Amino acid sequence: MAAPLFLLAPPRSYTSLVNAMIGQHPQAFGLPELCLFNVERLIDLWNGVEGENAERGAMARHGLMRAVAEIYCGEQSTATINMARAWASVREHWETGRVFRELVDKLDPLVAVEKSPSYTVAVPRMKALYRTFPEARFIHLVRHPIPQGKSVMAINNGAFTMRMGAFEIHEDFANLEPQIAWHDVNLNILEFLEGVPAGQQICVRGEDIMADPHAKLAEIARWLGLSDDDDAIEEMMHPERSPFACFGPLAAMFGNDPNFLSGPTFRPHTPKIPKLDSPLPWRSDGKGLYPEVISLAREFGYEH
Amino acid sequence: MSINAESGDPPAPEEQTAATAGSSKKRERLSPVPLDKRGMVDPSQMAPHQAALRQSVVDSFNAKKARSFLQRQVNHIAASRELANGIKFLFDENGRAPVNAPLEDIIEERRMVEYHLMWLESLVLEMRHRLVKVREIEDAALEVLAGASDE
Repeated sequence: MAAPLFLLAPPRSYTSLVNAMIGQHPQAFGLPELCLFNVERLIDLWNGVEGENAERGAMARHGLMRAVAEIYCGEQSTATINMARAWASVREHWETGRVFRELVDKLDPLVAVEKSPSYTVAVPRMKALYRTFPEARFIHLVRHPIPQGKSVMAINNGAFTMRMGAFEIHEDFANLEPQIAWHDVNLNILEFLEGVPAGQQICVRGEDIMADPHAKLAEIARWLGLSDDDDAIEEMMHPERSPFACFGPLAAMFGNDPNFLSGPTFRPHTPKIPKLDSPLPWRSDGKGLYPEVISLAREFGYEH
Repeated sequence: MSINAESGDPPAPEEQTAATAGSSKKRERLSPVPLDKRGMVDPSQMAPHQAALRQSVVDSFNAKKARSFLQRQVNHIAASRELANGIKFLFDENGRAPVNAPLEDIIEERRMVEYHLMWLESLVLEMRHRLVKVREIEDAALEVLAGASDE
């Protein structure tokens, strides 16, 4: 079985784009967000765990339904999504790791590529993933905390920061602070990766891929043991060709960031990297990043 | 990009855990919300004062969310009315498109109607799904009642 590849990153860190790009390599298969390791058993994706999945439960299943429909039927339609539901129903009491392994076996010899930012919310989820795939490889994808925080706050009023408990508590008031979520999620990833052999993990800055995609994607392909010839890299430059780079049928429309689904085409650009002492765009008091966040960002190569 | 790949066979995960633990300096989480045994944030463990402040942020977030949802719905209703008024000119008194209607307008209208149909279909699908669940609960409750009356 080809060892799967997982992208670990907070949301809004180029994960959708990079996942689809790597997944477009002729020897790989980019999956949508399966969210399987958010729960222990498959049926919990439907039931939720103590209300945890209650709010976006259906959306958390869309990726799996689309993936099953595509892998087993070669297309995503209302009929094949219904088939995927039946497929899941038969396996409803399976552990989610076993379900994931079946999909990876089915894709073999292609390398399964997946990213579900929800795994990085809790270290036990990533450990469950690693227990299932001890041979898996991991890319820790990082993005500068300021544009990432700005982007997180622009999506759903910053709901992710609340989910991460990213509150700044003062004497008589509190506010949401996305840099706390950026810091704590990256800390979770680092803590998890401490237990993963160095040969199975790399750390990549999303901005570097955006600025020089050919070179960086070729580096990643070589690291994965995949071909880095021009044809393969050219294919990786077209994430929009992925069967999951669009909205799915009505019964399973999502499975990824809606912004990516509505505009998956990659346009090479050099992202602006702000100075680490810049004022934060989501704050009106002119304050900047915490020293802990600056220190961690420097470790990721954001020097200024 | 920093690639930490090393040549040679990787050690077993358990060995590697022991070997690398403590290799990097210990950092602390910044969130004031403690974690539960699943590694998820657990607000119930917060100090009362902090929990109250957190709750005020959550309430304000939910209020903002509800307000923006209502605003979207109002905009949608207003947009639907505007659309209805806007396309009146496309049809004659018998509901047929006039012979000289601009093709662009007809295509645009067709796309808009398709979009609305899609939206409505997804709504219907969701309602049917809810109905099935409610019926199941209703049936189960009636069965319990029937069983109780038999006894």
